[in-house]
Amino acid sequence: MALSLQKGGNISLSKEAPNLRRILVGLGWDPRSTDGQAFDLDASAFLLAANGKVRGDHDFIFYNQKTSSDGSVEHTGDNLTGEGDGDDESIKVDLSRVPADIDKIAVAVTIHEAEQRRQNFGQVGGSFIRIVNDETGQELTRYDLGEDFSTETAVIFGEIYRHGSEWKFRAVGQGYTGGLGPMAKNYGVNI
Amino acid sequence: MQTFQTGQKSPLSNLTPSTMLTLSARVTGPAAEYDLMVFGLDAEGKLSDDRYMVFFNQPRSPEGAVSMSSGARGEKTFTLDLARLPPSVRRLSLAATVDNGSFGQIDHAEITLGAGGTPLATYRVTGRDFQAQRAVMLFDVYFKDVWRVGAVGQGFNGGLEALVKHYGGEVKDTPAGHPAPLSPAPNSAPAPTPAPTISLQKITLDKQGQSTKLSLSKAGGADPIRVNLNWDRGGGLFRAGADLDLGCMYVLNSGEGGVVQALGNSFGSERLVPYIELDKDDRTGAASDGENLVIYRPDLIHTVLIFAFIYEGTSDFTRVNGRLMLKDPRGNEITVRLSNPDVRRTFCAIARIENFGGEIQITKEERYFYGHSDCDEHYGFGFRWGPGSK
Repeated sequence: MALSLQKGGNISLSKEAPNLRRILVGLGWDPRSTDGQAFDLDASAFLLAANGKVRGDHDFIFYNQKTSSDGSVEHTGDNLTGEGDGDDESIKVDLSRVPADIDKIAVAVTIHEAEQRRQNFGQVGGSFIRIVNDETGQELTRYDLGEDFSTETAVIFGEIYRHGSEWKFRAVGQGYTGGLGPMAKNYGVNI
Repeated sequence: MQTFQTGQKSPLSNLTPSTMLTLSARVTGPAAEYDLMVFGLDAEGKLSDDRYMVFFNQPRSPEGAVSMSSGARGEKTFTLDLARLPPSVRRLSLAATVDNGSFGQIDHAEITLGAGGTPLATYRVTGRDFQAQRAVMLFDVYFKDVWRVGAVGQGFNGGLEALVKHYGGEVKDTPAGHPAPLSPAPNSAPAPTPAPTISLQKITLDKQGQSTKLSLSKAGGADPIRVNLNWDRGGGLFRAGADLDLGCMYVLNSGEGGVVQALGNSFGSERLVPYIELDKDDRTGAASDGENLVIYRPDLIHTVLIFAFIYEGTSDFTRVNGRLMLKDPRGNEITVRLSNPDVRRTFCAIARIENFGGEIQITKEERYFYGHSDCDEHYGFGFRWGPGSK
């Protein structure tokens, strides 16, 4: 059964799903049914060192840089409208291949050009982000973006972090003002 | 009070514990008319029953859980009684349409969500929030694990037709450019209308919440409902006789509401709104027929709550053998014996009379309150109360 997380709540991915090797971060939403500009949601991941920053720009995985240099994190492609069933964008993480100097992976969802298009998550139908055991398809945790972050345009969903020999997931659930650019800068990416 | 922005959502419980809500809306702009309506949608967001489109041609849903009334300067107020909605209706969506022009041209639209006369949230949009939309969804009250509310602010250039299509229905020809009755999606057969069953037996509603139905389906069916409150004189040499008062709180289908009671000399009227009249104020119980209240036009009512309270002379309904009888012209009788378990609660809401599209349902309440205002609060009429005497 999927866990519904309170903000700041922790789950241990290894306990929830022992022998977890590969996870998938899934982002889904419904295409806009009303007239107006499409909703374009983006999933991104930041590979962070112990200081909470990226080691370099190559640690920022998003629609324009789909694979980490070591191949452990892979974005499967940009969806511009939400067309399609299930996950519309996903990021696959092979936990066993994450470099040792990476402490945690932050996962974020943002609305592309939210300010210009005057959009927020509450306007988007059926939007969610979830974490799935990519080997079994089991859903480990899920957020309903439309209900929980209705007035936000960017959210740091959570962090997958090392804890001893296992990986844990911390639900951050924090809105972020300004969108993906300022968020990336904050993590040390040169935009 | 909270100000909502487009897209903002909130669990209803963050705003109010009440499930009796009002949604008032007004659109101002260059068009002669902006139509406002509430769609009652199923869990999939579809209009599977077109009786749940509440607008000027159909101002209330079958059971009355959603009803519309008109205020000044084009304002419409929708009364939403979530507890009475059928389980098939999980989303109430307030929308506005315009025939000539678009919502990009409006000055503004203002929506206020309220409960018990208190505004809880407002949502305001202007023409800058839209472009060529001729139908816009403004505000939703919906069930998703819990009841929630949300400001929508999205719409369709194709107007009402596109909006209804979005809800899975279709618009029939609209002769006067006005919304016409809709055809629901083909997979939803209209609910069969049960044949009215009228018992001529004497009915005693003994348990709280028990109800009986009187059909008004007879041609011209607007026969009066008579309510009688009687009690024994009581009192003694040095004590005034007990004075019980009969009255009602009412809301008509037109949206007008008020109170009929001796207190404040609000005796009502047989021939004028509210077509409910209290015949006299029997201050002692000496008159053999007690106090009588007649609802002359049950077909015009939305909800009437019959109450009795002890004005003076006793603190106990049972000591004076308080009894209420409700009678329709066909011999259906409902009797309620009053008994207040708590001496401080000397106000009894006795029965609720509701008009469900021509079928009158009478439900025994027998709930005891301290007075008018906490009773009103319970039932959510939202009247203003001040001290009064007669």
